[in-house]
Amino acid sequence: MKWKHTCPSPRIRSAAVMVLVAIITLLAAVQIRSHLRLETNLDAYMPADHPAFVYSDQADEWFGIQDAVVVVLHHPEGIYRPETMQKLVDLTRRLQELPEIRPDDVKSLATADNIVGSEYGLDVRPFFRKVPGTPAEMGALRREVDGNEMVNGRLVSKDGTTALIMAEMDSEDFSQDLYDRLLALQLEFEGPEEIHIAGQPVVEGTLALLAPEDMKRMVPIVVAVIALVLLLSLRSLRSTVIILLVVLLSTIWTFGLMAALRVPMYSVSTMIPVMLIAIGVADGIHMLSHLDLHLREHPDIGPIEAIRDMTGQMKTPVIMTAATTAVGFLALITSQVYPVKYFGLFTAFGVLAAMVLSLLFLPASLHLVGLPRRKRAEMPEKDGSPRGDVDGSAREGGIARRTADRVLRHRGAVALFWLAVGLISVLGARRIWVDSSFLAKFGQESPIVEADAFINGQFGGTSTLNVIFEGEDEVFKDPLVWERIQDLQEDLEDREVVGDTFSLADYLSRMHMVMNEDRLSYNVIPDSRELIAQYLLLYSMSGDPEELDRVVDYGYRRANLRVQLKGDNTRVIEAAMSVVEEHRDRFPGLEIHYAGSAYKSFIFSDLILEGQIGSLVLSIVIIVLMLALMFRSLLAGVIGSLPVVLTIFISFGVMGYLGIPLNSTTAMLASIAVGIGIDYAIHFMDRFRRRMRVHGDLQRAARETMTHSGRAIAFNAITVIAGFAVLLFSVFPPNRELGALVALNMFDAFAATLTLVLAMLALKRLRFLTRTTSSVEGDVR
Amino acid sequence: MNNLKTIEAGLLALLLLAVAVPTWSVDAQELSAGEIMWKVYERPEGADRTSTLTMVLRNRFGDERVRSIRQFSIDLGAVEKKLMFFTAPADVKDTSFMIWSYDEEGREDDQWIYLPALRKIKRISSESKGDYFMGSDFTYDDLGDRWPDKDTHTILRDESLDGIPHWVIESRPKEADSMYSRTVVWVRQDGSWLGTKKEFYDPEGDLLKTLTVEKIEEIQGYWTVMESVMHNVQNDHRTIMSLADVSIDVGLDGELFTERSMRRGY
Repeated sequence: MKWKHTCPSPRIRSAAVMVLVAIITLLAAVQIRSHLRLETNLDAYMPADHPAFVYSDQADEWFGIQDAVVVVLHHPEGIYRPETMQKLVDLTRRLQELPEIRPDDVKSLATADNIVGSEYGLDVRPFFRKVPGTPAEMGALRREVDGNEMVNGRLVSKDGTTALIMAEMDSEDFSQDLYDRLLALQLEFEGPEEIHIAGQPVVEGTLALLAPEDMKRMVPIVVAVIALVLLLSLRSLRSTVIILLVVLLSTIWTFGLMAALRVPMYSVSTMIPVMLIAIGVADGIHMLSHLDLHLREHPDIGPIEAIRDMTGQMKTPVIMTAATTAVGFLALITSQVYPVKYFGLFTAFGVLAAMVLSLLFLPASLHLVGLPRRKRAEMPEKDGSPRGDVDGSAREGGIARRTADRVLRHRGAVALFWLAVGLISVLGARRIWVDSSFLAKFGQESPIVEADAFINGQFGGTSTLNVIFEGEDEVFKDPLVWERIQDLQEDLEDREVVGDTFSLADYLSRMHMVMNEDRLSYNVIPDSRELIAQYLLLYSMSGDPEELDRVVDYGYRRANLRVQLKGDNTRVIEAAMSVVEEHRDRFPGLEIHYAGSAYKSFIFSDLILEGQIGSLVLSIVIIVLMLALMFRSLLAGVIGSLPVVLTIFISFGVMGYLGIPLNSTTAMLASIAVGIGIDYAIHFMDRFRRRMRVHGDLQRAARETMTHSGRAIAFNAITVIAGFAVLLFSVFPPNRELGALVALNMFDAFAATLTLVLAMLALKRLRFLTRTTSSVEGDVR
Repeated sequence: MNNLKTIEAGLLALLLLAVAVPTWSVDAQELSAGEIMWKVYERPEGADRTSTLTMVLRNRFGDERVRSIRQFSIDLGAVEKKLMFFTAPADVKDTSFMIWSYDEEGREDDQWIYLPALRKIKRISSESKGDYFMGSDFTYDDLGDRWPDKDTHTILRDESLDGIPHWVIESRPKEADSMYSRTVVWVRQDGSWLGTKKEFYDPEGDLLKTLTVEKIEEIQGYWTVMESVMHNVQNDHRTIMSLADVSIDVGLDGELFTERSMRRGY
């Protein structure tokens, strides 16, 4: 800061800062315009070299495993009516004609193979070529379907009222445009039949489109509310605009850097502005609040001195809060998941950008446009304390002092209270569950959720877990292996979460029965290797042999068991996997792995959480150390980290009690707790120490700190809580949860800092508060 | 291996050229595309034949399924009968398969299969000529000879393959709803009336499959395709068919082609 003495006018320096800020912002904006892109391909989110993903991708390739768009056609009086059946045929064909979908990948009663016994022996043929016209023909069709377990309950509901069309496709190919065309098909074919559309590509695709869209709608309202609350609490348009500019510019710089480095935006990246809004306003509020108080105490001071006092006094806490927050976010780069790594990296950058802007741009703006004019009484009292204010400041001051006094009086109770809150939260946090579900992100009333529930009620399930068995060549001609797989299938189907299972065993037992005059006693796995081999040969001569490639490979050394699940959440997947694990010992010599998109998102959410929790612990350790260094006391580090730890505990505890699952979004919120909690503690403790050094009177220091930092923290908390409360009105449930949890975190950090930290600081006379060996700037006023 | 094949094919080509030059040069000038296709269709194949067929199915990962079949066939005029006995892999040994295909327009083939593990003969319905044969890339239609008048033929150009002049003939089906929108065949101009290459285009007009004749032999005066590869370029699946121990006009008895023979084995 030496140059400020050589530079003649702060106005010229300020103008230079402004020009510099403008140039950087312009460059960032240009980068954003030309290079920023949104990554919608969910596969790009996964660490491609993780063994579970490598295997799953490989298995997807072997067996052509793809997610399916599921379309169902429902008629309350049954689908065995010529008009309804014709619709099924037409709808199937229209889906086959979509460029994103291969015709062979569309399965319905209109395309399915019917394996039947006839005078011929084995006959693999379509269920019908022309839609049956007479009731007798229709009745015959119904009997065929009812008698074929490979379609009954799979392509047609057991009560005959609903038909299902599965259109397998690459989820990557799903687009808004395709969804619109599907909706148009739904509209065209609906009535009197009901049409529902669901399936993983629809869920993932819609989600990828919906989340940023909702954010785009909600963020301006959030900002508007924050602006309004800032205006009400700071009572200055100038201050409000400057603070908002700091946040806005830091966000632009952050995304500009992202664009310049050619890093795409992931869905998690939409959280970056959220973080910067919640954290970035703090510096500005604290600085301007200090300025406001200082001007009230010293009404005769000139603007240049006032601004210099503000930056001088607030420099240390602002730099320290930014540094600790940035470190907290940087800890996220230990995550294995790229979107999380980048989220940590760029949020850290944004926080530092906000700091630089607060220290340079904010004072520069004040130099250029003048000090904020607080609307207040013309004649402030001159006794150097805000006590005599005639407006709200008096109330504020009174509340602050009374709060400080009460906390000091009941410091033991305060500590006990927070201890209890912490314990109760830990109990709740033990109930927390992890959810990788995409479907859970939609509201209950959303058509996708309704369609999914409808289909799960009538059919096996909309989500698929693939169990891959691997062994030696030809092992999958061994009847014993298939009997055991069939046992596994039966155990799986006994679980409520499992709708249906499908493997080569289903083909084998169906063929065995059909070749033995449809006798039910033959609806089992054939008992010799030769017979299995011969049935498979027979099937290749009469059926659609490519169908078998989906369940067994060419060398008969790998097999694919498809498990249809009635949900895509982690509990469901874990329940199904636990059944497989119980059976694992029964397959000596075989390897068992999992594959498919449901499994991948399960592993993925595990990775996110693992990394998230690891980096949380790491960031708390770092923060304790940094605080300890700042205050030259390990105890100070521990006290300062209390709001962070408590905020995290409460956040997880509330989620546990309310049944809000931990997912990639909610887990990320813990970072907010770190960022905000630490800021509050630093501002508060720094101010408290400064006052203690001046006069050493605990109660007076407490009152002064509460009036100064406590007030700024309260403004900050109220502002952000009000802003994020707006998200409670979002149509998108994850954004609602986000709003609620950010508001909760803000409140916890605010309350814990103002009560617990103060109580702890006052528990006994702490040496670090009065020791003057540290490098304190001339602060003896 | 490849070199050997090239040399072999080259020598064969030279030989064929020497033998065939006097005749083909005359024909070539005057024949229409339709006439050429009729010549191909009517190429003599003998009254009966026996051979050993090795069929290799190779998927896009390079995994293979190999089947060995001893086969017998006889042309009885109105009906052509074929009997196949699987010899490998071991678990399908003695499985047998019989087809009777009729010249009569619209009459479906009759097909039987004998599964030794089940000790039963079962009939298989053949609903569609467009079905793929035993999981191969050949449809039943591809394996048989297609009646030339079902298509309209055009000579696209002359082209030399392995040094042998060929007609390149495009055939477009007359009936709507055919499984191919068109096929292009390379027919040798040496009087053998063999097609040595064929391309199949799907209904959208995209190349679906390529058939390449890898090896031909003249056996007892009959030009015989000994090895051919059908490559489905859309799913990168290949079928390699190779013949060995071919005998033609051995005087097979039409009574051999019965269910009794299927059970008895060959």
